[in-house]
Amino acid sequence: MMKRKTKQRIGLFIVILLTVFFGIVSYPNENAILKYLNINEKLSVRRGLDLQGGAYLVYEADFSNIEIENDSSKQEVLENAATVIERRINPGGVGETIVRTAENGRIIVELPGVRTAQLTFWEVDRSSGEESGLGLTPTDLSGRDVARANVEFSHAGGARPVITLRLKSGESTQKFSDLTARLASEGGLLAVFLDQQPVFGPANAQHIPNGIAQLTGDFDTKEANEIATLLNAGALPVPINLVAQQSIGPSLGELSVKQSVIAAFIGIFSIILFMIFYYKKAGIVSVFSLVFYSFATVSIIKFSAYTDYVIVLSLAGIAGFILSIAVAVDTNILIFERLKEELKSGQTPAGAFESGFDRAWTSIRDANITTIISCIILYTFGTPAIKGFAVMLGLGVVLNVTTAWTVTKVGMRYLTRNKRLSRGNWIGQGVEK
Amino acid sequence: MIIIAKRKLWYSLSITVLLPLVIFLFIFGLRLGIDFTGGAILEIKGNFSNEQINDIAKAQGVQNVGITPAENNRILIRYSISDQSGTQIRAIEDALRAQGAEILRTDQIGPSVSRDLAKNAVLSVAVMSLAVVSYVSYAFRKTSRVIRPYQFGLATVIAAFLHDALFVIGVFSVLGKVMNVEVDSFIITAILTVIGFSIHDTIVVFDRIREKLNVEVSNFSETVEDSLQETLVRSLNTSFVIILVLLALLLFGGESTRYFIFALLLGMVAGTYSSIFIASPLLVSWNLHKKKKVEKFKPSVSRLTKSSNKKKSKKK
Repeated sequence: MMKRKTKQRIGLFIVILLTVFFGIVSYPNENAILKYLNINEKLSVRRGLDLQGGAYLVYEADFSNIEIENDSSKQEVLENAATVIERRINPGGVGETIVRTAENGRIIVELPGVRTAQLTFWEVDRSSGEESGLGLTPTDLSGRDVARANVEFSHAGGARPVITLRLKSGESTQKFSDLTARLASEGGLLAVFLDQQPVFGPANAQHIPNGIAQLTGDFDTKEANEIATLLNAGALPVPINLVAQQSIGPSLGELSVKQSVIAAFIGIFSIILFMIFYYKKAGIVSVFSLVFYSFATVSIIKFSAYTDYVIVLSLAGIAGFILSIAVAVDTNILIFERLKEELKSGQTPAGAFESGFDRAWTSIRDANITTIISCIILYTFGTPAIKGFAVMLGLGVVLNVTTAWTVTKVGMRYLTRNKRLSRGNWIGQGVEK
Repeated sequence: MIIIAKRKLWYSLSITVLLPLVIFLFIFGLRLGIDFTGGAILEIKGNFSNEQINDIAKAQGVQNVGITPAENNRILIRYSISDQSGTQIRAIEDALRAQGAEILRTDQIGPSVSRDLAKNAVLSVAVMSLAVVSYVSYAFRKTSRVIRPYQFGLATVIAAFLHDALFVIGVFSVLGKVMNVEVDSFIITAILTVIGFSIHDTIVVFDRIREKLNVEVSNFSETVEDSLQETLVRSLNTSFVIILVLLALLLFGGESTRYFIFALLLGMVAGTYSSIFIASPLLVSWNLHKKKKVEKFKPSVSRLTKSSNKKKSKKK
């Protein structure tokens, strides 16, 4: 008797300990707590583009004018193109820019926070002076007019690196010629920006009629290479076309997060009320396992950042998570209803628990496998947003079965073995008089 | 509530709801989103008249196909755009911004991507139905002679695909006609999720039937009725909880997932109905149909079984 009781207590203790652990990890301001505990690890949930704002671009390579022997070299060319794009949009390698190749010769670019990276040429008005800042006027030249940029070493300057910028022939060269002619006569400056980041200049301009400009300045070879990389669009090993794009402003993402969190809380709160109202003390056990389940899910999302399989939370992912809570409740309801039936046939609470739990298991298993099947199919064929939904729902189902098998089981065993607690209408079965 | 005996009432109730929807679907079809047709969508915030929006589109040589105003001064504009480089859509964005609009979201999908998305949507539904029949037939492989394993699989597929999914698609066909609601890959996701949940629900009842069949095989329709009654509270409670959560998401969640949640909600209601009133009663209908067939064509066999039953009762 003593032995079983100690075993029960150890089980309960482990569950409570794990709950506290997952609770700390999933707390929104967990890093403050971790710091207090002298743990210097940073945890965070990676937000998808729809939640933080950003751009999602799909490019398709045009292999029609390129001689390719086989698929693997095709893939190689594509990988090279992806590397060039990555360097171009993310020169410092910072941030969470993702550039990856996909099937059908596609390259997918995800830019969080910023809108599409655009190389722009600006006219700088020197006369405005230092106090009022630089007067910038946009020109009609952009990254699309650039053919190629590469680093060369000028002999005149004693092996100093210079960047040779070649513009596309025709209209682009003409536009550049007109612009530089005007700037040279007015004494204006030229600057090149990538989004809001200055790439080159402001620098003096000379009239360049042939579309080949030498960019000089106070930079070393490494810096020159970086600038050239930024200017380069024509260096792509294969011409690429934009075939799909999606960009979401930061305000919409912020609003979505706020609304989803409110909806999630209201949803979970109404589940808790219903479960306690309908299943009484057993309902409290299920609420406890739901809390455990939610904490564990958030913790796994946070820990996933340390693995190769980072879970990125998207709007659809949040919906999947909330839906998975409902699935988790179903598991509890299945167990409780089975328990009630066993009680009706005259079993004691403890006996009803032992037989009811095992009998509920086959339906829990079979029912959840179908949900996992649908998640796998959604993941295989879905768009990134749908993949996010499938991952969260699938993760939810796996975790929920595990939680039922551990937390609900330990809690219910404690409840049914305790004669004081499992008296009267403890599982909402109604009491016969 | 008597379920099995009144099964014809439940069937006709479903048909009454589904038939008009299916006819509507056949006549008007679905309003497909840019996911499947290609094109562009802009979501903006600001005060604009339809003429202003039309003028901006016309200035860029683009045709806009739909302007849908939404809450909080937001407007959804759909363009049919052939240029994929993003030049045109960016020019439109700039023009709108110059007139004081805030660009909330831009979506542009070229024909090659939309073709793939459409292909994947069809493929995923096909693979899903195949996977379900196979899994359910496998899970129920040890059932007795009364009902074949594949019949369990077939019943779940009819209930989930022909009943629930068709209901959701039908309602969205009406919504598309009346409110310009588009069917995009999110709606397909919702439908596949609904199918998964509906099967989840049905399997719990089937599981109980299987359990009972292992013990006693007296009267099949009674067995099914008992199984349904015993799992009824669980079915209703679970659906109630899921519907509660979905309602919270629908009322308080973001607008970008509104129709996705709505599709899930519709499917959930249909799925709860079908797993109680369609899937299991179908098993009984098939069982009785088989019996009738046997009695019609092989009277000797049925006489034999009857006489053998008499013998047994005599022994008792």
